[in-house]
Amino acid sequence: MSTEVLRAPMSPSQLVPRAAAAGAPPQVTGHGAGGPASKRIIVGYGFWVFLLSDVIMFSSFFAAYSVLFKNTAGGPTARELYDLHNTALETAFLLTSTFTCALASIAVGQRSQKWTQIALACTAVLGVGFLTLEVREFARFVALGAGPSRSAFLSSFFTLVGCHGIHVTVGLLWLTTMMAQFYVKGFRTDIRHRFLCFTLFWHALDIIWVAIFSLVYLVGTLPPGFLP
Amino acid sequence: MSAESHGNYAEYDYAAGSYVGGDRPRGAQPNIEAPPLRRELGGYLLGFALAILLTIASFWVAHTHSIYGPALAVGLLVLAVAQMGIHLIFFLHITTDPDNTNNVLALAFGVLIVCLVVFGSIWVMTHLNQNMTPASMEQLMRMQG
Amino acid sequence: MFGKLTWQAIPLHEPIPLISGIAVYLAVIGLVVWVVIKGYGPYLWREWITSVDHKRIGVMYCILAAVMLLRGFSDAIMMRAQQALAFHGGGYLPPSHFDQVFSAHGTIMIFFVAMPFVIGLMNFAVPLQLGVRDVAFPTLNSVSFWLTAVGALLVNLSLVVGEFSRTGWLPFPPLSELRYSPGVGVDYYCWAIQISGIGTLITGINFVTTILKLRAPGMSYMRMPVFCWTALASCLVIVAVFPILTATLAMLLLDRYLDFHFFTDTAGGNSMMFMNLIWAWGHPEVYILVLPAFGVYSEVVATFSGKPLFGYRSMVIATMAICIISMTVWLHHFFTMGAGPDVNAVFGIASMIIAVPTGVKVFNWMFTMYGGRVRFTSPMLWSLGFIVSFVIGGLTGVLLAVPAADFQLHNSEFLVAHFHNTIIPGVVFGLFAGYTYWFPKAFGFVLDERLGKWAFWLWVVGFWVAWAPGYVAGLEGMTRRLQHYDNPAWHPWMLLSALGVLIILAGIVAQIAQLVVSIRTRAARRDLTGDPWDGRSLEWATSSPPPVFNYATLPNVTARESYWDAKQQPRETTQPITSEPDYEPIEIPRNTPVGFVTAFLATVTGFALIWHIWWMVVLGLLGALITFVVFAWRDRTEFVISADEAARVDRANRAVRAESLLALAR
Repeated sequence: MSTEVLRAPMSPSQLVPRAAAAGAPPQVTGHGAGGPASKRIIVGYGFWVFLLSDVIMFSSFFAAYSVLFKNTAGGPTARELYDLHNTALETAFLLTSTFTCALASIAVGQRSQKWTQIALACTAVLGVGFLTLEVREFARFVALGAGPSRSAFLSSFFTLVGCHGIHVTVGLLWLTTMMAQFYVKGFRTDIRHRFLCFTLFWHALDIIWVAIFSLVYLVGTLPPGFLP
Repeated sequence: MSAESHGNYAEYDYAAGSYVGGDRPRGAQPNIEAPPLRRELGGYLLGFALAILLTIASFWVAHTHSIYGPALAVGLLVLAVAQMGIHLIFFLHITTDPDNTNNVLALAFGVLIVCLVVFGSIWVMTHLNQNMTPASMEQLMRMQG
Repeated sequence: MFGKLTWQAIPLHEPIPLISGIAVYLAVIGLVVWVVIKGYGPYLWREWITSVDHKRIGVMYCILAAVMLLRGFSDAIMMRAQQALAFHGGGYLPPSHFDQVFSAHGTIMIFFVAMPFVIGLMNFAVPLQLGVRDVAFPTLNSVSFWLTAVGALLVNLSLVVGEFSRTGWLPFPPLSELRYSPGVGVDYYCWAIQISGIGTLITGINFVTTILKLRAPGMSYMRMPVFCWTALASCLVIVAVFPILTATLAMLLLDRYLDFHFFTDTAGGNSMMFMNLIWAWGHPEVYILVLPAFGVYSEVVATFSGKPLFGYRSMVIATMAICIISMTVWLHHFFTMGAGPDVNAVFGIASMIIAVPTGVKVFNWMFTMYGGRVRFTSPMLWSLGFIVSFVIGGLTGVLLAVPAADFQLHNSEFLVAHFHNTIIPGVVFGLFAGYTYWFPKAFGFVLDERLGKWAFWLWVVGFWVAWAPGYVAGLEGMTRRLQHYDNPAWHPWMLLSALGVLIILAGIVAQIAQLVVSIRTRAARRDLTGDPWDGRSLEWATSSPPPVFNYATLPNVTARESYWDAKQQPRETTQPITSEPDYEPIEIPRNTPVGFVTAFLATVTGFALIWHIWWMVVLGLLGALITFVVFAWRDRTEFVISADEAARVDRANRAVRAESLLALAR
């Protein structure tokens, strides 16, 4: 490449790709000057950028939660409400579902329909388990008079954690669609690309949950003197 | 340049003049095939184990008095960030490979924005709240506390 | 059954919305009838509505923006007329209407004129400049456009069914909370912005991926045209901050719909948090708008000075610096809210620092012109008008960045003059320059230059007559958004301002005339070479308009201005610009109605949410889910253009180009 740049003047034929030199495959520079990237890289990168934008949306809700944490309007506080056993169980479910999702991506790589469906089914079951625990927690709060309308703190809690729950729900809908597509259409390239996006999404949801269980539940139940 | 020297890149079909299993735009780079099974499974198992360890550590730290009290919140933040890192490396395959540079840069950009939004908001709102006149006895008392 | 929707929602007793509503309704019906009679329906559906081609989508974005410019500008005329008349009197617009008018004006101009126009230009030009066939995700591109159109539709619907928001272009609580705005206005606003915001976010992701991962072979980062760098920076900012807008409006909607307490004045809500978050989006938003405009200026100034852009590397660094710094200055929109001197000082200094890379860009443009052979075509005139006017607007911005000064001028007419002074010469002139510059590439004929120059002069003179008085009135204490006032010192300035807006109106009439006249005489102004301006970047190497696949073979890029360098070969040789490549079959993504269908469902769902028609909401969301699954089940996503077909199209274009170049050389 570098010798061509030094050769002057530019000839018009250089705007045209020369006939493949001795049939060699296109050079792979890995730095973008080698021509358009493969579909898989394009799809993966685009989805990665989307995930980062989603993380930024969550950070807005986190910011609101941090700012409004103390605005309990005389109502229940975090320390009074949060049940850490429930949180630990939810964490176990979600973390394990991330692992089974990773197993599913191995199965897809090996083109094994049976193991793909099994691993994805396990992921789905664990995801549903997570959601069930979360819905029960929300219902318990509402029954205690600590629904989202009680105070700004509770509004921000329900929104932040609820938004994550909505993402998990959407993820489960996506997951079942993927299971159906693999089953009916096999391991076609574009379906594998979509599955790559799904795995990125599912792992990212667990990353968000790490932030939630650490900074919402664990920090929220610290004694008042230790709160930042 | 033969296909083999690229390691695990897709095979080039010289007769057809394109890569095998082409799902790529004209002139595009080859696909990166999956790494061998054992290595991949080992990576995920290790990531899972480390994540479990860090989770247990977070819950434990929040309950015992092993960390100096006022530093607990920061400690939990550090453990959370560490666990996010484990997820990113082991499950999302963010590496320092030159082909991965765009992904790392995008991540860095995202982290910058998150920090600006969260810490910026907390800083700004704390100052705004401090300068508000107290609306109630409760707030007046809290100010004096 | 229909939630809050009743027949009272139609403004039968309010002449202005009623008459304008009827007029628009008749115009739309007339257009549909004309299309049906002429038989354009199938063509429009096949070639435009279901198109996933970036060139078509770009044009549609610009058409949407142009139509909404007329609506937003009508609001402007109404406001200026009201403020000219309402001295010691009520004017002709009652306060509740005036509030809706200024809210609609700002909302439409930012979200449905400036954003679509900028995105339209990026859509059209970026893939061509990068030497590739389309963006990374063509179908998502179509979805983005249609979601933006839905937002525009909902805002316009509020004119005739219900009312619009009265809280300004950003709905500050507690006024925008349910307690103080119980009507549907704020809901119209929020849902329109949420829906179009999703479209914009998708566009941001699409272009970041395209520019970073999808470029012609040999085009490294430092060989990209500057317009692509500014598009990249703008789209990075979109990806960074539109999620904040989505989250903040979601919080407001939760307050309004489900009795949450984020920003209410009871139960611990903090309305200052809304200000903080919304401006964390709002300030980067204006950089999203202005960065691509700066990119247009870079292209135009280089082309019409006949020189490469001065200081390419510093341009790139300045662009990326603006991208990052723009996200650290947002508090300057609420210096007066009381964060205290420490916080104010930090954000004030950051706001001044951001002027530095902008200054670097201005000097680069000037140094590009210096020593070049400047051709004063209308795109160049727009750029010169920009440089002179925008610098003044930017300087008033630096003045406002001083917190102590801002305490006097916050929310005054001075502020209004400042932001119009940066947006109109900054963004709007750039959009007009880009429109004139790329019009021949899109449609195959050049716009009338004489009318273009008339339009420019009327705009720039009208702009200054309209907005210079704003600075004076602001310094004399006039607040913004006044429905009436009693201070005699302000009255003459408001009269002058109204005159200015009429001059701008003449400018807009000149632009419409330019378009009509150019279309009528298009045979005489055909662009046969594909390169009417003696351009420098790759898009001018294609025919006008380019074939659907843009390039028969992706160009091999070896320098920053490959096309310009290739042209410098002696033109008297009988060789065409490029020797014939090896043609191969080309895969083109299929057209799809998914964008249009999604838009339809979004309109139904949005309308239902606004009016609390819950069963319709459920139906709309269910429809969306079904659409996604059906679309995901597609088997045939592309069609192939054979090598022979590509060769045929390409050879025809080359022949025409070669002939006209030979004619030039003789």
